[in-house]
Amino acid sequence: MSISAKHVFYAAVLALLCALPLFITVKYYVHLSILALVWVIMAQGQNLIQGYTGYVSIVSAGFMGIGAYSTALMGMHFDLPVWLTIVLAPFITAVFALAAGYPSLRVKGHYFAIVTLAFNMVIFIVLMNFTDLTNGEAGLTGIPKPGSGSGPFDFRNRIAYYYFVLLVAVLMVIVAARIVRSRVGQILIAIRQNEDLVSAVGIPTWKYKLFSFIVSAMFAGLAGALYAHYQSFINPEIFGVAQSLDAILAVIVGGSGTIAGPMVGAFILVLLPEVLRFADSFRLIIYGLILVLATIFMPRGIVGLASQAWGKIADRGGS
Amino acid sequence: MIEILQQIVNGIAIGGVYVLIALGLTTVFGILGIAHFAHGSVSMFGGYLTYLLVASLGVPLVGAVAIAVIVGLLLGAAIEFLAYRPVRDANPINAFIVALGLTMMVEGINLQFFGAEQVVIPTDAGHIYDIVGVTIPELRLYVIFSAAVLVAAMAIFVERTKTGQAIRAVAENRDAAILMGVNVNTISLVVFAVSTALGVAAGVMVGSLFAIAPGIGEGLVIKGFAVLILGGLGSFPGAVIGGIVLGVTESLAAGFISSAYKDVIAFVVMIIVLLVRPQGLLGKA
Repeated sequence: MSISAKHVFYAAVLALLCALPLFITVKYYVHLSILALVWVIMAQGQNLIQGYTGYVSIVSAGFMGIGAYSTALMGMHFDLPVWLTIVLAPFITAVFALAAGYPSLRVKGHYFAIVTLAFNMVIFIVLMNFTDLTNGEAGLTGIPKPGSGSGPFDFRNRIAYYYFVLLVAVLMVIVAARIVRSRVGQILIAIRQNEDLVSAVGIPTWKYKLFSFIVSAMFAGLAGALYAHYQSFINPEIFGVAQSLDAILAVIVGGSGTIAGPMVGAFILVLLPEVLRFADSFRLIIYGLILVLATIFMPRGIVGLASQAWGKIADRGGS
Repeated sequence: MIEILQQIVNGIAIGGVYVLIALGLTTVFGILGIAHFAHGSVSMFGGYLTYLLVASLGVPLVGAVAIAVIVGLLLGAAIEFLAYRPVRDANPINAFIVALGLTMMVEGINLQFFGAEQVVIPTDAGHIYDIVGVTIPELRLYVIFSAAVLVAAMAIFVERTKTGQAIRAVAENRDAAILMGVNVNTISLVVFAVSTALGVAAGVMVGSLFAIAPGIGEGLVIKGFAVLILGGLGSFPGAVIGGIVLGVTESLAAGFISSAYKDVIAFVVMIIVLLVRPQGLLGKA
């Protein structure tokens, strides 16, 4: 896709997303759209470490949980305004990511993945068992929603919250795109392609990997915070390893190492269970199969396939 | 003192299970460079299958284990052929993502066919020995003994047989092994089959010592990788010692610190090893 075609494409998608609540009459679909936008942020963060840097991290749901619990706990115990806690949550997540990333990044490839997964399990176990703080399996209820009941923006209204999440998601996609285009982003891509070469020219790769890991965790933390204030209820269940695998699925199916890919992947991830509702108990098997088949036959994801197809059409049109 | 001894004995039995899981993982990793993440779930499949044969169909335990191990051999070979071989020459990340997909599939299959209830494989070994105040259930002795026999058998297979020699050759230098006429495709199948059979044996042990339930397999495979990190990647003695160290540490932690956080402690040990000695306890620097 040429630059201009890409811009037209993004503008069309954005217009569609802005107009979406006007078409949707069933509240449940607004709910799904909000979840999909939260997952866009998650997947965009996952893509940074997995797709661009080439390190499969399996802890994003854990970081999402840290973001969700920290914003909820700050709001409930310190009585801080919701806007502030949503902004603080990613930074608290970043502190945990620093502590987790430093030892994890001492190993490469598969072992990095395993160690991050161990961290996800630790986070899950702590959320389950540290009942004084997290209320264990029962979870936290009554998490405040942003904004007061009065004023022009009542975020207890689902559609208002939709636009709020949409705004944040668009901002985060732009941030991700800016990071990728920057010098740092180019080094991350170089690390994915040949880490030994990058360190051989004197670039301290660990700094860049740690940066990528922490930023990706901050995306997840923000997604968690948005999720917590939307649902008003959180428990450890959705911050387990299975959801971290979902994030990986979203990146792979959408198109790893592209900006559009995670967005497509996130919507597929949220809408797929609806499509597969008739086969609910086979969900895991089907997801797993999709992941295996997509990796073997479509390693560049839907976006990769689409841009390839578009390239062919454009070539034919040109000649 | 007795209490400490007791926990150490408990830990050795659990450690035996970890050793078997880790041996499968380390062989696959050493030969093919694949972090076979679905190993734990496949092992649990073997455990479930044994349970089904014993509890529902009335097959004697030994027969059921034999059938499960044979199924494990075939399943391992099928996984290598259908899932990993197509991505063998792609970016190593792809093999790992395939492994994650396989994990989801096998977990889903376990859930679909065996249900979400936890199951315990029934055994006749109910006797409990008392040796100077340390109680040892008969079952744990059997587990420790079988694990030791399997480790020895695996060691003989790798060190003493022609196939074992070929496996070591591929691990040492894949290209040279191919030039010497080693059929890498066959070796890959054999390695996966044998590793999966070991995993199935471990699954049976978990199922009879504790219980099998959804999610146990994932926990187990992470412990297996923790053992590899502890012992040093691709190291056979490292896997054996690492497994026992992890089992005993966990058992002591559960007995003296907190049983809810025992898994956390295992991971903390792994992370400390990574920080202090990233090549593992027995790995070469």
